Order: sequence, then structure tokens, then C-alpha cells
Amino acid sequence: MPSNRQRQGAIAADPALVQALTRRLIYGAGLMVGVSLAAFLSLRALPGDFAEVLLTYQMAGEIPSQSALDRFRSEHGFDAPILMQYLRWMVAALTGDLGMSFRSGDPVIEELRLAVSATLWLTGVSFAVVLLGIPLGVIAALKAGGWWDRLLTGLAVVGMAIPNFWHALLFMLLFGLVLGWLPSSGYGTWAHVVLPALVIATSSVGVVARVVRRALIEQRQALYARTARSKGVAPLRVLTDHCLVNTAAPVLTVLGLQAARIFDGAIVVETVFGWPGLGRALAEAVLNRDFPMIQGAILVIGIAYVVINLLVDTAIALIDPRARASL
Amino acid sequence: MSARVGLVLLGIAVVGAAVPWLAPHDPQAVDFLGRLQPPSATFPLGTDHMGRCVLSRLLHGLHVTPLAALVVVAVAAAVGTAIGLTAGLVGGRLDQFAMRVVDAVLIFPAFAVALAVSGILGIGLWSIVLALAGVHWADYARLSRNLAVVERGQAYVRAAEALGVSFGGVLVRRLLPAAVPHLVVLATYSLSWAILSFAGLSFLGLGAEPGTAEWGLMIAEARHHMRAHPLLIAAPGLAIVTVVLGLNLLGDALADPATRRRSPFSRPIKLRAAKQGDASCA
Repeated sequence: MPSNRQRQGAIAADPALVQALTRRLIYGAGLMVGVSLAAFLSLRALPGDFAEVLLTYQMAGEIPSQSALDRFRSEHGFDAPILMQYLRWMVAALTGDLGMSFRSGDPVIEELRLAVSATLWLTGVSFAVVLLGIPLGVIAALKAGGWWDRLLTGLAVVGMAIPNFWHALLFMLLFGLVLGWLPSSGYGTWAHVVLPALVIATSSVGVVARVVRRALIEQRQALYARTARSKGVAPLRVLTDHCLVNTAAPVLTVLGLQAARIFDGAIVVETVFGWPGLGRALAEAVLNRDFPMIQGAILVIGIAYVVINLLVDTAIALIDPRARASL
Repeated sequence: MSARVGLVLLGIAVVGAAVPWLAPHDPQAVDFLGRLQPPSATFPLGTDHMGRCVLSRLLHGLHVTPLAALVVVAVAAAVGTAIGLTAGLVGGRLDQFAMRVVDAVLIFPAFAVALAVSGILGIGLWSIVLALAGVHWADYARLSRNLAVVERGQAYVRAAEALGVSFGGVLVRRLLPAAVPHLVVLATYSLSWAILSFAGLSFLGLGAEPGTAEWGLMIAEARHHMRAHPLLIAAPGLAIVTVVLGLNLLGDALADPATRRRSPFSRPIKLRAAKQGDASCA
């Protein structure tokens, strides 16, 4: 086994790694620009005209006259070239000004800050539960075909077929209302996190376990694993030092995909459980046509997932030298 | 085994959808005197908070969500496959660019993006269908591009190109048939994704119009009565699970090489005679 220092030396020296990470960083930066453009253009692409929508809102729903509208446009720079408007919007966004929420009248950035912290709590716990899929998958691979393996496959299949809003209601009904073990909705304590986090995680934990299982079975049958076993390396050692390391790339990839699915789940689950997170904020903003809030949510979600994707790719490149060429 | 279970589950759904007269009542018939009735001979699954027959609404729901999901999948598959096959066949810069765009679409949470897009387009059935297809085409583009790259080097494609078959001819008559079995597998999974997404959006109040016999909406409307009348949320939920589970099991079976060997899709694609010119479909 090479020592840690040797490993780090090898990483720093590998030009393929440096290239891969540089490519990813440039791509990530491009995506960030793309996300900001999408967020900016989303409101400019509204049916009608954003200046009109904004002024109508400010006048409490009254339809503005054409002259008032023209004045509003020139005052707020809506008559400037679109690129100029974008740059101005970017500067404002970077200094934390994303406009006011139509619904609450508060700054969008403040609403987002509260929502993001609530969502990070919930999705963080969900993700920790999803990570349980790794040991579950390892056990299933070691005892492939056994009852545990079949149970897990069943859980994965059913977990993917249950609509999460229905699942949320069933948990709320059973554990919240009938048994009374946990609060059926709300926010604030760890007891409130349990049900929504479990609902979100259920659809992903089985998927992760299945990917781990398949990758590990494949690796254990590989020639290098047989060689290691036949030359007398302890089976546990073969598993941890040889096979598990080689499953890292597919497992990290599926974990990255589940990070996106967890947020998808959070939208509905937060709404059902009254959790004041970003998912519920987005759903309510869409329902109430609160456009500045939709725009802010697009920006935050977009940037978050560009970063997550960058982290996943970096981790894969660090762990698996074979993947560097294709990143 | 899973294939059979899947087919049985889907069979139930298809029979239910094909025979609307199985529904004992008008799904929209409101009867406030007979609201929240328990199951009986007249109302096999009872009535909802507006006295409407739950079973009839469930059966009519088969015409809403699965149908909308079919449209989503058809649009996403058509657009994605066209882009993917073209990128894979042309190769080079175009291919790289297209795949970067596909990667970009796939890293974001699809449901969240669809929700935001439909928020911008305005609430309504078509904006939902467009939004869902708009995030889902990338899956088809990636799959069909990878298939096109593999098939591009095969003798039958090179032979067609050497014989002067046009670009469109190679794409439609050579690559597309080779891609179809893989696309069918993806389509079963993506149908179940679209059903879950559409029902989820309807549950949030963004999909089907209020009053429609749509499963997600039925669950949303029954929420406030679920403690006393759990059947009202259990029935539509089970309907969704039945269809989605059926599709997923069928997809698993189709993706399994053991099933594939017996399936009609797996026949090797025969080289067609050269005289059967392909220029017509360019």
C-alpha cells in the first residue's frame, strides 16, 4: 500500500488530473453564466412584459396607463439594451439585491436565506439516510440471491413506484395522527425532521443500494480480485482495499443524481409537512405567480447544483484515475 | 416473473381505460347529501367530499395522467432522439456541444426545473406538458447519441453510406431501427417518471384543472378528510402505484438480456438490398 504522502504526490503530478479539473472548472463557470442568464431571461420571457407585470403589481393590480408604463420603463432601465439590463441585474444580484417578493413584500434574498437553511437541514438528513444505501448494497452483494438481497430489491422497486406526496400523507396519517409518535407537520425540532426526511430518502436509498450491489458484484468477479484472493490476501482486505475502491465512480455518480432527486422530493414533501424550505417556497411562488421569487429560486437551485456536480466530478477524478480522461 | 407482474398490472390499467362504461357513475356528478359515504353496492369505493363516485373518478383518471404522460414522453423522445442520433452520426464539434448541453440539463433537479418553467409559462395543462418534456428530452438525446456512436462504425451503416444513402436515410432507416429497442426500455421508465411528476404537479395545484378526475388532485382534495376517510387517499394512490410499478417492472424485464433474447425487438437488423433506395426519406 502506498502511503498517503506518496498518493498525494501522485495526484499532484498527474497532468491528466490537472487537465480534467481545469476542464470541469471552465465548464462549471460556463454553467454558472448559463444559470444566471436563464434566471434573468426567465422573467423577460414572461408572456406579456416584465415591466408591465412589475408595475401592475406595484399599483396593486390596477392596469397601468401607457404613459405611466413608458415612464416606469425608462426609470428602471427597461428600455436599455438587453445585455446592459443583464449586466445591471447581475451586479445587483451579486450585491444581494434580487428584488422584492410579490407575495410578502420582503426582499427575495431574505426569504431565500431562511428557505435555504431550512432545506439544507432537511435534505442533509435525507442524504445521510440515502448514504445508508451503501452498506445495504454491500451486504446485498455479499449475500446475492439471499432473502436480504431480495428484500432490498423489493424496497428499491416499490420505493421508486410510490408517489412521494402520497407517501408523505401516509406517514403523516400513520405516525403523526394515528400513532402520535411524531409531529405530523411543522418545523423547529429534530422530531419534525424525521418523517419528511424518511419520505424523501425512501425513493433514493434503494436505487443507491442497487447500484452499489451491482458494481460490487462485478468487481468481485473481476480477475484482479480473484488474483488477490488466490495469492492469499485476506478476503476482507480484498473487499475494502481492492473492490470497494473500484466501485467509487459509479457510486459517486449515482449519489450525485440522487442529490438532484432529493430536492425534487423536497418540493412536494416540504409542502405537505409545512416545512419552510426552498422547495415549498418555489411551489408557492409558482402558484402565486411571485416572479421575483421564482427567479431567485432558479438562481439558487441552479448554482447549488452546478457546485454539487463540480464536487462529484472532482471526487471521481481524485479517486479514479481512469475517469480523468473522460471528465 | 417481474415481466408478467408488470404486464398484469398494466393490463388492469389498460382494461380500465379502454372500457369507460365500467365506471358505474358520472365522475362529475355531485351529490352533497351523499357525501363521504363508505363503500356500498352502488358506490364500490364510496363517495368523496362532494358526493362523487370514487371508483368512477379513478377509472376516468386513467384518461388524464397516463395520457398526459404519454404526450410528454412522445415529445421528449422525438426531440431527444432526433438531436442525439444527429449528434452521434455527425460527430465532432456538434456532438461535443450537444452533449455538453445534455450534461447541463441532466445535473439539475428535473421536477424543480419543470415547476419553475411552468411557473414562467403560466399554469395550465400544456405548459406542464411542455415543461416536463423540456427537461426530459436530454435523457433520450444521451442514450440515442451513444447508440449512434456505436452503430456508426458498424458495417451495415458504412455500407449504406458507401452506397450513397443520404444522411437522413441513414438516420431514419438504419440508426433509428437499431435504437428502438433501447428507446422502448427508456420510454417505460420515463412514462412512470412523467406519471409521478404530473400527478405531483396536480397535487400541488399546478397540473390538472380543479375538479378534474385526476389522481394527484383527488389525493390533494381528500387530504383534509384522510383521518376519517383514509380510503379517499388510499385508492388514487394505489392507482398511481399500480401503473408506475407495472411500467417499472416491464422496463426491468425489457432491459434484462435474458428477456431480450426472446423478444421480437432483438432480431438482428438485416442489411437491406441496395435497390431499396433510401433517398426518399431524406
